[in-house]
Amino acid sequence: MAEASLRTIDDVVCGFCGLGCDDLTVEVEGREVRAAGAVCPEAARLLRRMDVPDRGPSIAGAPVSLDEATQAARRLLGEARAPVFAGLGVDMAGAGALADLAVRFGGVLDHYASDGLFANYAAAQRTGWLSTTLAEVRNRCDLLLVLGEDPSATWGRLFERLYPEAPLFAGAPRRVVFLGGAPGEKARRQLAGAEVSHLSADDVVAALEALGVFAAGGQPPGTSFGGVPAQDISALAEALRGAHYAVVTWNAGGLAQGDLVAEFATKLVDSINLVTRAGVFPLGGRDNIIGVNQLLLWRLGYPLRTAVRGQASAHDGALYATGQALADADLLVWTSAFRPEPPPAFSGKVIALAHPDTQFDKEPDVLIPVGTPGVDHAGTVFRMDSIVSMPLGALRVATLPSVAEAARGLAEG
Amino acid sequence: MRLRLKGGRVLDPANGENGVATGTRRDIEILDGRIVAPTGLPASAEYDLGGDVVMAGGIDLHSHIAGGKMNLARLLMQEDRAAYPEMPGDFCGCGGGRAVPTAHATGCRYAQLGYTTVFEPAMLGANARGAHLEMADIPNLDTGAYLVLGNDDYFLRLLAAGAGQEQINAYVGWMIEATQAFAIKIVNPGGINAFKFNARKMDLDEANPHYGSTPRDVLTTLIRAVTELGLPHPIHLHGCNLGVPGNDETTLATIRAAEGRRLHLTHLQFHSYGTEGDRRFSSSAARIAELVNANPNISVDVGQVMFGQTVTASADYMSQYRNRGIATPKKSIGMDIELDAACGVVPFEYRDKSFVNALQWAIGLELFLLVEDPWRIFLTTDHPNGGPFTTYPHLIRLLMDRDFRNAQLATLHKAAQKHTLIGEITREYSLEEIAILTRAAPARILGLKDKGHLGPGAVADIAVHREDSDREAMFSTSRFVFKNGRLIVRDGEVVELAQGTTHVARPEFDRSIETDIGRWFDEAVGLKAKHFRIADGELRAGAGPTILKCEGVAP
Repeated sequence: MAEASLRTIDDVVCGFCGLGCDDLTVEVEGREVRAAGAVCPEAARLLRRMDVPDRGPSIAGAPVSLDEATQAARRLLGEARAPVFAGLGVDMAGAGALADLAVRFGGVLDHYASDGLFANYAAAQRTGWLSTTLAEVRNRCDLLLVLGEDPSATWGRLFERLYPEAPLFAGAPRRVVFLGGAPGEKARRQLAGAEVSHLSADDVVAALEALGVFAAGGQPPGTSFGGVPAQDISALAEALRGAHYAVVTWNAGGLAQGDLVAEFATKLVDSINLVTRAGVFPLGGRDNIIGVNQLLLWRLGYPLRTAVRGQASAHDGALYATGQALADADLLVWTSAFRPEPPPAFSGKVIALAHPDTQFDKEPDVLIPVGTPGVDHAGTVFRMDSIVSMPLGALRVATLPSVAEAARGLAEG
Repeated sequence: MRLRLKGGRVLDPANGENGVATGTRRDIEILDGRIVAPTGLPASAEYDLGGDVVMAGGIDLHSHIAGGKMNLARLLMQEDRAAYPEMPGDFCGCGGGRAVPTAHATGCRYAQLGYTTVFEPAMLGANARGAHLEMADIPNLDTGAYLVLGNDDYFLRLLAAGAGQEQINAYVGWMIEATQAFAIKIVNPGGINAFKFNARKMDLDEANPHYGSTPRDVLTTLIRAVTELGLPHPIHLHGCNLGVPGNDETTLATIRAAEGRRLHLTHLQFHSYGTEGDRRFSSSAARIAELVNANPNISVDVGQVMFGQTVTASADYMSQYRNRGIATPKKSIGMDIELDAACGVVPFEYRDKSFVNALQWAIGLELFLLVEDPWRIFLTTDHPNGGPFTTYPHLIRLLMDRDFRNAQLATLHKAAQKHTLIGEITREYSLEEIAILTRAAPARILGLKDKGHLGPGAVADIAVHREDSDREAMFSTSRFVFKNGRLIVRDGEVVELAQGTTHVARPEFDRSIETDIGRWFDEAVGLKAKHFRIADGELRAGAGPTILKCEGVAP
């Protein structure tokens, strides 16, 4: 075999966390892939590929051909009374093919990271909200309020992306206030050009609720809220009302009361907008959850956590959440193409269209390893803001099918 | 494959044929998806039309069918979705909804009404890739999208810096190509941008708080750009002060600002409000129609209000923010987007017992009836903003049947009835005029030479309706609809799903602009220009677009 030459690929788009970085440098040598240069730890880990043969399809752990696995999976689908299509860590083409399968065989559709999304929807669907997107935050935001824990652990380049050195409009100083956990070393480094402060809160919801009252011109009774002195909250409310463009951000998926944080953040931004401009910037977007959700909205008219049965669909944010839906299911179709995310424990049959490195507690009844969008094949993913979507390229020749190919195989015949 | 449609009365205003008036019946022949001159050759299938009315497939030049704002609307309208479940038939359980139907329901319901081409009139560059993915999932329709420009900071920055028209044109050309757009839409020129700097309103000659440029500057510069780039469709303008009483003066001034150059004013109804009367809300339709009549460079669509629950979705966040207090139900979404534009989604119920809503209804109809040239006015409800497109058959009856119209008028809010001329207008649209409004004229203003007519060479998009004196009944169902020569609707039922194409325009432009655009995307937007740009292969699941090359028209 000829020596594989080293190729360096610039401006690689990363589809993992939902932040949508598209300036990565990646080195590819034969089947080996590794990130080079500035990259967050998660991207480095998930892009890394060794030159080893991928695991092949299997039935109950025994190797079989792709055809055999496909036929076995099709049989399970045909026999199933109540399938659940979960995981859904897929690109847009994969999401379309899985939606087709759900329409054909019936079943519940949910993404494995949808808790945060639905915590936000508790606010967004009841009252609506006023939001903003990455490029607006980058250039307009002069006061960023971060609720809960420092999100840098999950989105490694978040503050670098939100607060570039030379914004178009935001004047100096650009401020960032952490309400809740303290900013870590990484956040402080990325925010070196900004004025960073921290209000330590033991109850973010209580502090945020009081902040909303102050910002609306009220005076909540009490001397401290959620562990934050009233005068600090009052001063923050004044600063928000005095900002040119205030942005409130949080990771609902990482908060115990994400729904309440979303609700009070929404109210806060509503009242700030009466006097100046502001927007919410909810964090999320892992493994194209936003794109899959978008596709279901235009295909079925409902977001994730929707059941398709008998040519009609119904949505229920509680009943059709993966955990709850599995209680009534006899088949789990698990899909995770971006990372080796294992399926949840389930006593019924399992078909897995999975990342080849997935470690299973119990071998699935049918396993079809699939390639990763943005590594093995091209695809499209949405960014966390639900507006921008990104083209992922292939970094190497695929030896595994894409989710779309695998899912179309199940639908045939 | 050769098909023959036998013995129809052909209504084809683009070719001057009116079989409805003459009673003449003739055959239409289709070969491999195109209309050909009739031959005596054997056909694979023949359809006996028995004197039914044959028209080209309908073309809707302004209907919000795709893009992020429609999904936000779906998110807010879950009750509407649940109340209007899936259509019967086993094509797929792909959704329903009335105010914001799913992609599948959109394609099927339009097809049932005899429409085969629909343009999304407000695609944001930032959201273009998603909008194209969504359009690819709409069956039975050809689509295309107008790119929203004029509030984007790149353009406003060029304008403020006094950039030459050449540079502006290059930018507009690059954006059209990069986003796979068909035309340029301006929404509240500069106003959406001004709102980001906390301005709450924007008149035609009011300066942007940051850039200093006015909506008039934005409008005239972009009119010149699309003219010089040779885009077939003129600037598609959603003007300043949407929905504000007194915006009639702005609208009249906007028409004059075009100075004889082509300009399309969209959903004109929402821009035709005076301030007369006790309630300070009145119709200015007559004044505006008079000026439209006097200016052959102006075309309009109406954005008729139809009573009932709907949802309004617009890039005009400034106006939508102003209107959020009257949301029904009480919830709304607003979003500033990517140095590009914005969006606002506000559910709304138009009520016939409301003075304002009843008068909006009347103002729309006054515009339809007072604008004289059917080639310059188009039948729209600004779906879903004035009402869902599924109300078109009812609207057609309102236009064609004066007694019906007056009977409807008599049921409305009493004071509103006194404030409209509708009762005195005798005009009734003819079938030929309806065919012009919904087929021939949109094809002409979009520059689609092989659509909107039934002459040899035309795409075989054909709708057959059985004539009925109840025009609502007639247009509510189609006897046959053919898409590219394939039968997709028979006796009102969708019988097959056809995959449509997406129309894009491709102007020539100076590519040296790419260096500056690349820098802008890197530094300001935080996204590479090459990743913003959409490849042909990303459209229609790899099939790519249908490209209209721009050859330029006389300025």
